[in-house]
Amino acid sequence: MPGAASHAGAKAERYIDNKRKDDVRTMNMVAAKAVADAVRTSLGPRGMDKMLTTANGEVIITNDGATILQKMDVTQPAAKMFVELSKSQDVVAGDGTTSVVVLAGALLRQSLNLLAKGVHPTVISEALHKASDKAVEVLTNMATPVKLSDKETLVRSATTSLGSKVVSQYSSLLAPIAVESVLSVIDPARPDRVDLRDIKMVKKLGGTIDDTELIDGLVFDQKASRSAGGPTRVENAKIGLIQFQISPPKTDIEQNVIVSDYTQMDRILKEERNYILSMIKKIRATGCNVLLIQKSILRDAVTDLSLHYLAKAKILVVKDVERDDIEFISKTLHCLPISNIDHFRGEKLGHADLVEEVHVGSGKIVKVTGIKDKGQTSSIVVRGSNQLVLDEAERSLHDAQCVVRCLVQKPFLIAGGGAPEIEVSRQLGSWAKTLLGMESYCIKAFAEAMEIIPYTLAENAGLNPIQIVTELRNRHANGEINTGINVRKGVVTNILDEKVVQPLLVSTSAISLAAECVRMILKIDDIVLVR
Amino acid sequence: MAGAGGTRILQDEAVEEKGERARMASFVGAMAIADLVKTTLGPKGMDKILQSTGRGQNIMVTNDGATILKSLYVDNPAAKVLVDISKVQDDEVGDGTTSVVVLAGELLREAEKLISQKIHPMTIISGFRAAAETGRGILEKASFNNSKDKDKFRRDLLNIAMTTLSSKILSQDKEHFAELAVDAVLRLQGSGNLEAIQIIQKPGGSLQDSFLDEGFILDKRIGVGQPKRIENAKILVANTPMDTDKIKIYGARVRVDSMSKVADIEAAEKDKMRQKCDKIIQHGINCFVNRQLIYNFPEEIFADAGVMAIEHADFDGIERLALVTGGEIVSTFDDPTTVKLGHCKLIEEIMIGEDKLIHFIGVDKPEACTIVLRGASTHVLEEAERSLHDALCVLSQTVKDSRVIYGGGFPEVMMSNAIEDLARRTPGKRAMAIEAFATALRGIPSTIAENAGLDAAEIVTQLRAEHAKERSKAGVDVIRGTIGNMEELGIYESFKVKQAVLMSATEAAEMIMRVDEIIKCAPRKREGMGHGM
Repeated sequence: MPGAASHAGAKAERYIDNKRKDDVRTMNMVAAKAVADAVRTSLGPRGMDKMLTTANGEVIITNDGATILQKMDVTQPAAKMFVELSKSQDVVAGDGTTSVVVLAGALLRQSLNLLAKGVHPTVISEALHKASDKAVEVLTNMATPVKLSDKETLVRSATTSLGSKVVSQYSSLLAPIAVESVLSVIDPARPDRVDLRDIKMVKKLGGTIDDTELIDGLVFDQKASRSAGGPTRVENAKIGLIQFQISPPKTDIEQNVIVSDYTQMDRILKEERNYILSMIKKIRATGCNVLLIQKSILRDAVTDLSLHYLAKAKILVVKDVERDDIEFISKTLHCLPISNIDHFRGEKLGHADLVEEVHVGSGKIVKVTGIKDKGQTSSIVVRGSNQLVLDEAERSLHDAQCVVRCLVQKPFLIAGGGAPEIEVSRQLGSWAKTLLGMESYCIKAFAEAMEIIPYTLAENAGLNPIQIVTELRNRHANGEINTGINVRKGVVTNILDEKVVQPLLVSTSAISLAAECVRMILKIDDIVLVR
Repeated sequence: MAGAGGTRILQDEAVEEKGERARMASFVGAMAIADLVKTTLGPKGMDKILQSTGRGQNIMVTNDGATILKSLYVDNPAAKVLVDISKVQDDEVGDGTTSVVVLAGELLREAEKLISQKIHPMTIISGFRAAAETGRGILEKASFNNSKDKDKFRRDLLNIAMTTLSSKILSQDKEHFAELAVDAVLRLQGSGNLEAIQIIQKPGGSLQDSFLDEGFILDKRIGVGQPKRIENAKILVANTPMDTDKIKIYGARVRVDSMSKVADIEAAEKDKMRQKCDKIIQHGINCFVNRQLIYNFPEEIFADAGVMAIEHADFDGIERLALVTGGEIVSTFDDPTTVKLGHCKLIEEIMIGEDKLIHFIGVDKPEACTIVLRGASTHVLEEAERSLHDALCVLSQTVKDSRVIYGGGFPEVMMSNAIEDLARRTPGKRAMAIEAFATALRGIPSTIAENAGLDAAEIVTQLRAEHAKERSKAGVDVIRGTIGNMEELGIYESFKVKQAVLMSATEAAEMIMRVDEIIKCAPRKREGMGHGM
């Protein structure tokens, strides 16, 4: 900046004004950094968990950055942006939600130093952008391609993701489940797209995580309605998914039935019975023996009477199916939802070898297996000894699935354990030396910020972070680019040999998202209260 | 303060401010507003967090002057005038919303000095007017028009878009977005109807992943069991209840004496719905889009008929859809012959990020297109949409009035030099006002430089000297921190925007200067005395 240093007089004039703006900026950064520090200790396989008590007294124990931040309920605007940041990472990659925040925190710390030296925020912001682009480039060069048929590698990367969670000791069980479930929902027509909503997770309390299983079929959280003694196991099932109600008629227009004498009462009861009976006969006529009934708010979906008749007709009933689940079910069972009794035809039914109610812990679930023409979906029953473990297991499994999804979208893997970060730091550092001016300075700072990941990993594992980071630097400088921290053993090794791998997408999106967020915070110079 | 102890003419709590005080109050208010947005000007301008005091304390990060001003609490009447001109600027030309406020602020700052020298406001006003006229003349002369040459014009448009975007969040990816914006606007073929450009925000990915797609994208789901892909679609766009056709007379009810009759009525209701669906299907359509909900029952009828039914498209959605597919929004279905159906070549489900959306390709209106914005968070996306909207507005204005001019403080310095020349030739006190106008104009490049952390005085004086030479193209080169050739740097602006900035800022300053009394009516009494307007 030529001329910026001269004319001290002009500078003095603007001093007060700038002071306030500096304050706003510093305040924002301090607040955001506080958020980053809050989740920092949960990074890595030896990271700690947080216990969160929500406003209504619910307790959550988790290690998942996105969840912690979401529940933290921060009010400071800049801190809120960090929460958003981790959410975005969750959307893009589904994993690395802690890393992204920790990284952004480190970038902010470096930026604060630069600001204190009088570098203009926009200069820092531009340099950050360039550096993050370069970093992504470095990572891409480090990555090794992976084939989706290579299940072992996929399982390994899912294992890395699970490694930092509460449920890590079950990772040998959960990782294959995550891989299988994601691979089974890939649409052959669009092989690079995975919709995780095609995977249904049912949580059931009781048992241990060991009992978690992937089910080739469909699972309902609801138990079969058997208040009237209906069947709980049906072989060769013909399944009807209905959106109408089996209960006395109700019109949209308001109606009163007027009973003027005693005999009419009997007649009405009889009519009601006949009405229901005729519906059930129609259902029975198509050979349907399992009914899934959509929840209805306007009217009882089923009544005791209709359940009784359904039981007599040997039809298994699952009620209270949510409307949102209808599409999933119809896709899985290869059946069509039926919204009127008159449309109840055989070709709309789905077929399965077995529908049965099974006891799972304290509750019951309905399992549908051996489905004919099953759609591209899968179901998982998650088990756990208490609600907290159960919830965390579900979150961890979701993260692991996201990791696999990342690999489906972008089939490249890089090493874990802080190796890529150190390598990025080293290469950016040497790149910075070839540049001139402020830019070089800022990129150097970016390179230093990248070291926060291995530093924190080591710190959380109770190792000596400085010794570890310097050793890493040294070995990377000697060309061993896959050297990282093996946290479990507490040594620096070639991390690929340890089979700690993660998808490229997780790392690249963490870097670019963190840089984008920090740039946004840097550019803010005022907080204005508005309506 | 009211009435100075004399007879009270006004209501009890009304406030009256007169003469010097009134003028002071409005000057101070207007300048405070100008100072607030001043730091957002230029490519190195800063952003503001807008923190809502309402429920949820939502935050918004923005660099857009109009957005900041629009959401402010403003109590000062003069400040409101400035907020209004920025709004008008936004509606009329879409960009320059910050510049107009900053310029008006600078004009008032200069006027204040003159008034303290006991120059009558009317003299100042007439001087300002003369100066603004000269300025406009110069501006017109310096503008140029490349609309004849297609390639050159496109480059002009790209440059304008990049200049607009460079002060926004999109600055890093400005080439990418400038291309997007120019392509979108050129599709409009001069109609200037920005309605045909749809912007969708989808969190996830990075800004670079944003893309332009022909046709229309609807953020809805297709009904269960219906075709997910239709070629040569005939689309019926409707706004009709598809739950049940209720009798809408309050208290209408039916009395029956047996259950079977209730069942009959229910069947009759169902039948009515079925008839309605049949009528709709008889239009020969294969896609039905409704603004309201479609219940399970009609949904199934449509599924059976192989018609794609999309429910709950919002007002905005169906209006656009009707516009781009060339259909009409219908709410009765008795006469299929008179209904205009929409057409498109292909409808299919696509996936963006984690969400499934419905894409209409090959619509009747070729100008229709959709820009899908991707970005880290909703804050980024919202700001990106605002920035892109600004760029689109400016571009569509430029397509209409294709004159362009250099940016980066170039027009301001040039005008200011010419106006100073005018001042030298003008006898009387008016000359002082004209001179003041020239100084105020230099406030813009000075602010741009200041925001970039440059020495404003140094840069502006250098610029002025440069402009004293013939045919100079010098402006502030913020990136390198010197003055530079605007043509080489490709910093272009729309002539129309610059002219609007000049004229409306002058008018606003004039209006505020004319004030010599402020009467505030007694606030309306309200329960709890909340912050009323």
